[in-house]
Amino acid sequence: MDQNENLDLSDDEKKLFEDLMPEDLNEILDTGVNRRHFLKLMTLAGGGVLAAQSAVAEQLFTKPVSGAMPEELSAAAIENGVNLALNVNGTARKLTVDSRMTLLDTLRERLDLTGSKKGCDHGQCGACTVLVNGQRVLSCLTLAASCEGKTVRTIEGLAQTGSSRSRAGESGAQLHPMQEAFLKHDGFQCGFCTPGQICSAVALLDEARRGDASYVTENVRRKTGPVQLSTEEIRERMSGNLCRCGAYPNIVAAIQEVHSGKPVEQTFRFSA
Amino acid sequence: MQDKNKLTGTPVSRIDGIAKVTGKAAYSTDYPVKNLAYAVLFKSTIAAGTIRSIDTAAAEKAPGVLAIITHQNAPKLNVDGGIRGGALLQSPEIEFHGQHIGLVVAETFEQARHAAHLISVTYDRRDPKADFEKLMKNASVPKDKDKADAKRGDVKAALREAEIKVEAVYETPIEHHHPLEPHATIAEWTGDRVTLYNSSQIVNGAQTAAAKTLNIKPEQVRIVTPYIGGGFGSKGGQWANLVLTAVAARQVNRPVKLALTRQQMVNSVGLRQRNHQKVSLAATKDGKLTALAHETTTHGAIKNEFIEPCGDCSKIMYDVPNSLITYRIVPMNVILPTYTRGPGKSTGSFALESAMDELAHTLKMDPIELRLKNEPERDPSNGKPWSSRTTVQCLQVGAKAFGWDRRKPEPRQNQQGNYLIGYGVACGTYPAHQRPTSAIVKLKRTGNDVMATVELAAADLGTGTYTILAQTAADALGLPLSQVKVVIGDSDLPPAAGAVGSVGASSYANAVNDACQKITDELLARSGKQFFARPTASQLMLSEKLTDFQTRIDAKPLESAEEYSAHSFNANFAEVAVNRFTGMVRVNRFLAVTGAGAILNPKTARSQIIGGNIWGIGMALTEESVVDPRWGNFVTRSFADYHVPANLDIGEMEAIFIREDDQKANRMGIKGIGEVGIVGVAAAVANAIFNATGKRVRELPITPDKLL
Amino acid sequence: MRPFTYTRAKDPAAATQALAGNPTARFLAGGTNLIDLMKEDVERPTALVDITNLSLAEIKPITAGASKGGLSIGGLGKNTEAANHPLVRQHYPLLSQAILAGASGQIRNMATNGGNLLQRTRCPYFYEVSMPCNKREPGSGCGALEGINRLHAIFGWSEKCVAVYPSDMAIALAALDAVVRVRTASGQERSIPFADFHRLPGNTPEQDTNLAHGELITAIDLPQNRFADRSYYLKVRDRASYAFALLSVAAALEVSETGNRIVQARIAMGGVAHKPWRALTAEKMLIGQEATPANFKRAADAEMAAAKPLEHNKFKVELGNRSIVLALQMALNGGKA
Repeated sequence: MDQNENLDLSDDEKKLFEDLMPEDLNEILDTGVNRRHFLKLMTLAGGGVLAAQSAVAEQLFTKPVSGAMPEELSAAAIENGVNLALNVNGTARKLTVDSRMTLLDTLRERLDLTGSKKGCDHGQCGACTVLVNGQRVLSCLTLAASCEGKTVRTIEGLAQTGSSRSRAGESGAQLHPMQEAFLKHDGFQCGFCTPGQICSAVALLDEARRGDASYVTENVRRKTGPVQLSTEEIRERMSGNLCRCGAYPNIVAAIQEVHSGKPVEQTFRFSA
Repeated sequence: MQDKNKLTGTPVSRIDGIAKVTGKAAYSTDYPVKNLAYAVLFKSTIAAGTIRSIDTAAAEKAPGVLAIITHQNAPKLNVDGGIRGGALLQSPEIEFHGQHIGLVVAETFEQARHAAHLISVTYDRRDPKADFEKLMKNASVPKDKDKADAKRGDVKAALREAEIKVEAVYETPIEHHHPLEPHATIAEWTGDRVTLYNSSQIVNGAQTAAAKTLNIKPEQVRIVTPYIGGGFGSKGGQWANLVLTAVAARQVNRPVKLALTRQQMVNSVGLRQRNHQKVSLAATKDGKLTALAHETTTHGAIKNEFIEPCGDCSKIMYDVPNSLITYRIVPMNVILPTYTRGPGKSTGSFALESAMDELAHTLKMDPIELRLKNEPERDPSNGKPWSSRTTVQCLQVGAKAFGWDRRKPEPRQNQQGNYLIGYGVACGTYPAHQRPTSAIVKLKRTGNDVMATVELAAADLGTGTYTILAQTAADALGLPLSQVKVVIGDSDLPPAAGAVGSVGASSYANAVNDACQKITDELLARSGKQFFARPTASQLMLSEKLTDFQTRIDAKPLESAEEYSAHSFNANFAEVAVNRFTGMVRVNRFLAVTGAGAILNPKTARSQIIGGNIWGIGMALTEESVVDPRWGNFVTRSFADYHVPANLDIGEMEAIFIREDDQKANRMGIKGIGEVGIVGVAAAVANAIFNATGKRVRELPITPDKLL
Repeated sequence: MRPFTYTRAKDPAAATQALAGNPTARFLAGGTNLIDLMKEDVERPTALVDITNLSLAEIKPITAGASKGGLSIGGLGKNTEAANHPLVRQHYPLLSQAILAGASGQIRNMATNGGNLLQRTRCPYFYEVSMPCNKREPGSGCGALEGINRLHAIFGWSEKCVAVYPSDMAIALAALDAVVRVRTASGQERSIPFADFHRLPGNTPEQDTNLAHGELITAIDLPQNRFADRSYYLKVRDRASYAFALLSVAAALEVSETGNRIVQARIAMGGVAHKPWRALTAEKMLIGQEATPANFKRAADAEMAAAKPLEHNKFKVELGNRSIVLALQMALNGGKA
């Protein structure tokens, strides 16, 4: 009586998806929905799975584009100012910060990068996770002043920009494979923990390549270079990122797909 | 079976997904409002008494400080305007620990936070009413008529004469919603109108409450909340932060941002109250229930009452001739309790479904068989026919899919290494309602392309509202998904129901569907032509060569729905492993089988059910807010102390949906899934722990110490 | 967070000098605990001296002195690097495990080895400034003694303080008899045996350790040992990961090559005292005994007999007993159940 509806993409569909998406997405962002591309996707995908992806672009109910935030506040507003030069998402930034200002607040309140979230501000939820010099860290417990000369990558900097197919300056650059996988596997609901989850997951891939161990590693003495992570390993390594909506199984599926390089099945079960 | 040509019923990915995975989705504090000032709240350090003095001198002199607002200088607000939980700075009275007593506004967040630490307050302190175990004795009949004693038959006699009886008390602690996004507001005044960027599950409710409390007209308030970082009930009603931010912005004549800290979340935005539930079951030797009593004792805030309906499941789950559902309540010095995921049903089902498991064990009967034996043909609480009821299917489908036959009937019979393995089952239910909702649909044709926009003041707190409404409109208008735009989360849009109580999907989707049907009717009428088959709205836009057309509908629920009892149902199956040395519990596998009417999007629906299940696992194993009765403060005031489940806590999660076409509930047959996913979960886990260990834990959460 | 000046130290001498003249100045390393506590207004430094650029992160074999043949771990190395260093994983797997049991990937990338030892208690009365706490504000009383004390100490507490020390890493270091190397304010080097590094609360719970103001942890030395084949770090907590220990046990055994006789045993416990608690009674009882569950149980019984639980943490006595037995068994089996 059970009936599995396997809606995973076939290899052909996936290839098609990869071929079509970047171009389509940018076109959509530039000019609105292009019906021809959409119908092509629809027809070839045989359903709504791909359709939704292209529809997304038009649905971006994102914040209005603003003028640049003032990087420099009036001198009166900065106490114990520290001059800071750092690289954020590939761009050199210079600013003076209050010594008390965290990296998280600097990103959000001074650099207009509000993707990193303040879920607890005390290192207990992971929503503020960013990559500093390639390592995942908590930006809420990092003083901005301590980031002199460092390279910071946030959720806004994960999508590849400047590829030959993307148009200069567009926000809809090609998504990072981890972002694609989170979309496909519905690795979020409210989306608030998502930037931190994705940054954490991207770093986790490097840690696995490096052969790092975790508390659930059966034998830490065996260091074998790049490790293939079990789902249990991924769960433990992602436990520093809380998700109150409970998207954990989907997050693990998304990471496993990118980590293993093999599609992870999506199954939706109905019973009559 | 789903219609292959329809988008509804297919697992399309969230249309708001790219915004969320790229960090572009804008939550309350993400709006780039210019010239912002920052507000930080300071809070009472006593739970009962009166403020004697507030010394703000040092804070006023601190760099960057623009204003300090306390009850001494706050503008007069309407405390009965619909803001929950008080704390509006209108009097020196303290009703709970951590009550807002003022706020500092400064040029920067760092300056405001520092200045808030410089304020010193003296109090006339009273001993708080904070020890529920002691206060419980004084609990009395609630004012709320819905919570009056509900009696059927003669429970006392049935219990006295029972062949088999189970009587037990089940305790659930205070819990907190703790959405990952703390409650936060940006307030920006333009003339006498204020825009409030503020996460709101009930957009129009937030607008009305803010307006009334601020003593202005609703049209002077705009709520903007396109994205909500989780709510789970805590962003249903609105709390003081919403209006205090508006007050602060007016005071400093600048836009102001105010975000609660995680620590402030424990006493600012409601909680799930502590419940003491006594369940008494009587049955015949062959397992037919003869009596069911479910008596709940709980607490409210010091002035206001709130009771989550723990007895609701007991009212309708089983066919039993004698029934008694009661509530008693006592005031406590805590923030006002409020709706929390699966209100009443999640906690109530823990008591009822644990008791059913205890009865099955006493009867030496399979717990599924016991439930099947007591399946009611009609709603026992009101005699109405079910619009549909899927409990039996949920149990049977689930038992097969889960491998229930591998369960050892006697506890402590399945040991694997250091772990004791156990299986548990429990059922759940949640009512299905549709609420009035208005919607506008706009069609715009450019060449041969028609674009539709649907607009309504709906909310998406991660539930998938955007996506299911796009699917619904696309189907109804004959457009691909990419040509439908969904605009929600703004009180300037047509008024809509809240995303609460599992009414969101049915209220919103029915309204959008009705609006799309209406616009098609209007286009047909305008064309004046006869068609062999009903054309779609987009075809009519083309054939009539229209460039713009729109309509609005004020959708109402079906009147005939009142003739039926409409509910979602589920059956939950848990496999746990208990470390026999340390008592640490892991839910290895969990399956929820749910009958919730039409499933508009299996992908987001599955996520929502699993999310509810994970909430239930947290409730069962880890979540507890602890009050120190001497001072009335929460000692669990951070994510390090209040344990929401982490990724490693969660094993294999699976969801199965029962296909249903229940058009008695509403035209689209949608019953809602946000709440039902948590109902029955804690009991399934607790029952599995009993099966694993032989230990019946009746006090949540089941932490390691309770299994030694 | 109170205003403070921020400076970066160029070398260890500059760092210690910067603190020497200012009793309210503090080092800033990983910041994972200090910044947290500053936001809570528990810590109120007027100056932070950033020491993360000092060259004190190296992990290297010790080639001379008392710990010759052991391993030296830089005080400013990150927890992640220590846990994953091949020499640590190979020769001190107990330490790798303990570090990896703590916090999260992100925090371990930030936290330093020296800073880990200086973590302050997670007692909720310490964290909330409106509550009495002798550790935060000497003389204000202990909120936990007669309050909610499920998470608190069962060994070595005083009327002044019943807090427990939260580190996992340090529990393994206690079991491994590590030595903390320190640069004093005047530029001298001194070594502190691990057992003497942290303190019991006594009448001065405001002092967590025997480190003086301005002293800088330069390295943690691990003596050579024969435990690598038989050690285990067991952590019992209220959720599976990213939670402080209810109770933890670092266990290490050296067993005779012929037969099953215990040559050396090390047991340290976390979550039970104001410092890592070496179960010396149990260790002594095990030496020379067969490594059997019954002997493990006898040793655990003897150790836990001295426990003095509080109102809400009586379970820790039984939990400690069982955890010692389980950790020893896991250690004996090379980490497998």
